[in-house]
Amino acid sequence: MTLTIRRSKFTSRIIFLAALFYVSVSGAAMAAPGNAENGSKIYLKKCWWCHGKEGEADGPAAKFLIPPPRDFSMGVYKYTTAKPGSEVTRDEDLFNMISNGMPGTAMPSWRQVLNEQERWDLVAFIKTLTDMFEDMKDPPEISYGSKVASSPESIEKGKKLFKETKCFECHGELGKGNTMKKLKEDSGHRVWPRNFHKPWTFRGGYTPEAIFARISNGIPNTPMPAHAADKTGNGKLSVEDRWHVVNFVMSLADDERRVKDGENVIKGQQVPQIPKDEKDPVWDSVDGTAFYLVPQIIQKDRFFIPSNDMVYVKVAFTADEIAFLVEVDDRTKSVPGDKIVESLSWDGLSPDGIAVQTPVIIPESSEKPYFGHGDKAHAVSMLYWNSGSVDKGSVSAILTATGTKTREPSDAKSAGFTTSASYDNGTWKVMMKRKMITPNKDKDTQFVVGKYIPVAFANWDGSNGERGSKHTMTTWYWLLLKPETGSEVVAYPAAVFLILVVGQFAFAAMGRRKEN
Amino acid sequence: MKILKPILIIAVGYLLLKVGIPFVGSKLHPGTWPVVPTSVLKMYMFFVVAGTLLFSTFSEDGYAGIVGPVADIYTNPKKGLLRFVSIMIVGSLGAYVAYQYVKPTFDAPVELRSIHPAPPSTVKMWGKSYSLQTLKNPLRADKANFAKNVEEGGIVFFQNCFFCHGDRMLGKGPFYQGFNPMPANFVDVGTIAQLTESFVFWRIGTGGPGLPSEATPWLSAMPIWHHLLSEEQIWKVILFLYDYTGHSPRVTAAQAH
Repeated sequence: MTLTIRRSKFTSRIIFLAALFYVSVSGAAMAAPGNAENGSKIYLKKCWWCHGKEGEADGPAAKFLIPPPRDFSMGVYKYTTAKPGSEVTRDEDLFNMISNGMPGTAMPSWRQVLNEQERWDLVAFIKTLTDMFEDMKDPPEISYGSKVASSPESIEKGKKLFKETKCFECHGELGKGNTMKKLKEDSGHRVWPRNFHKPWTFRGGYTPEAIFARISNGIPNTPMPAHAADKTGNGKLSVEDRWHVVNFVMSLADDERRVKDGENVIKGQQVPQIPKDEKDPVWDSVDGTAFYLVPQIIQKDRFFIPSNDMVYVKVAFTADEIAFLVEVDDRTKSVPGDKIVESLSWDGLSPDGIAVQTPVIIPESSEKPYFGHGDKAHAVSMLYWNSGSVDKGSVSAILTATGTKTREPSDAKSAGFTTSASYDNGTWKVMMKRKMITPNKDKDTQFVVGKYIPVAFANWDGSNGERGSKHTMTTWYWLLLKPETGSEVVAYPAAVFLILVVGQFAFAAMGRRKEN
Repeated sequence: MKILKPILIIAVGYLLLKVGIPFVGSKLHPGTWPVVPTSVLKMYMFFVVAGTLLFSTFSEDGYAGIVGPVADIYTNPKKGLLRFVSIMIVGSLGAYVAYQYVKPTFDAPVELRSIHPAPPSTVKMWGKSYSLQTLKNPLRADKANFAKNVEEGGIVFFQNCFFCHGDRMLGKGPFYQGFNPMPANFVDVGTIAQLTESFVFWRIGTGGPGLPSEATPWLSAMPIWHHLLSEEQIWKVILFLYDYTGHSPRVTAAQAH
């Protein structure tokens, strides 16, 4: 009897909670009654700078942005979860874009700054900037069908479909976005396909549902086509097939090469023999560190529209030599003279390049050279490589600089400086090797073990109009060449332990003698 | 059991520093958890331990209450096992501390920098000399064109500054993650809200390389803006920053006159 009562109480509580949950969830989904007039005020304070006063994507910042800001006068949105075939985007999609922002673009999340009602007000307002939404009902959400859980079989099926559907023509064989075609948005702006190894750069988020919606609806205004099958279930990809592709795409995420917050030291590792090139298996045992690349927006000519977003670096050393392995995900192998890459590139074709910068004198205090090319009082040494040209091959140099205008070559031969590079499926791997100690003490860094050495990187994507001062770079990070762990790690604690234990026993014995 | 009291006081002191201070900080600045740096924590704990011991051994009685139980463990023939265990624990603690000092780490060196260093009395830009003590924003008095100047300042901001400082003015523009020190957050009460316009003018005009050495000029990615912008553009962007965030600039006595 008691049991039944308890159970019924429990059941009613569950029903009540479920009802409450339903009300709150459906409430959020239906909370579309935004006030367009109030939205317009917010828009004219916060949004027009990129999107333009009339919403035509012509604000003062627009010309510096790729991807460009959305043109609201067109009423077409890229990231939609509406049922395939819908004429407009769902209000909730607009709300989510404003709330969450879009990774890898200039659109930030406004959740922190605008409350929920204000964000709905903006949704209501931007819908008035086009006639697309006139007399339109909010379209139904896409049907996700029955989600297929990820499994090796599903991933394998997805991989097959990726091939059959020819996704690789734009996204590359390994899914790194190394396209075989020159891609444009309808607006004429260049667009590079997503690199599936970095799902955190997906503009519309990387939940399985978001990727499912993307595959189904494509990305309107861009070359990414919709893959949902038609009403009769014919053509393109079935619901189940799309889930297999989702599982395949999600399986490619490479967290190892994701920038980790607070990780700003490269763990230089001592190896028995310096790697002979960038493919040497020795590198597999060396820890890598990822850093963000940012465009050079500091000095003339400034650069605003990077394509590469990070470097991944490993350092190995022996008593005599040091080797840097710099990896950059780059969608194009830019080598001037290569007709195919020429047809893919924007703003002419220049070589791809990589530079590693360290101070000539390793600082003893916090005072360092200026991170951009050093300064008059503090020289920096640079190891430089570029892909050169089809005819003449790659170029490498060891340089010394005391500012951007004073860069001169050092002696590569006496520094034992050599490079070796290869491009494979969307990634450059460049190894730069030199002697730890060189005869040119006032031009080259003299590497030492056990000291924190400032280090910075630069990268040029030659198919993206990057040359000269137009490139991406990092500010100062650290390199520590770690000596092999010595015996002190065991010896010191053991000695302290022994001294304390023996001392205490002696103390105890003394005390007892006194009492006796 | 007099020995429990000092142990309790020390434990409470530790918790206050370890959890209490970050807790207060998290209430003042939601979304943060400002921990006390380890070096400062160690220093405070030294005083807490020393003070507690001094205080509790001040009287004869208190001294005996603390030293008694300790001496008992070391000398009481009946407590052989307890003695052995406590000696091992003290030894292990010592070994642990020693290991913390010699274990291999890749923690980056701590770099301290002054965020708002003292400004110079005069600064030279565009071939002119400005006295920061008396310098005022010449556009602030122009009430008729205020809205226009603010908007023009906004355009300067969105074509030059927003890539780092962001369109929410939170120091989180599209490229902020690649910079250290992080771009300034203008909404925060710790930046332009507590500075004069002449200070902001100096910081923008001479950028990172114009900082004094205590503010690590070699790290800041702030461009030398007088190479890229005009004097009027900088004054306009300053008007915009204060207007957008709703902060008022501080005014020195010399500037008020």
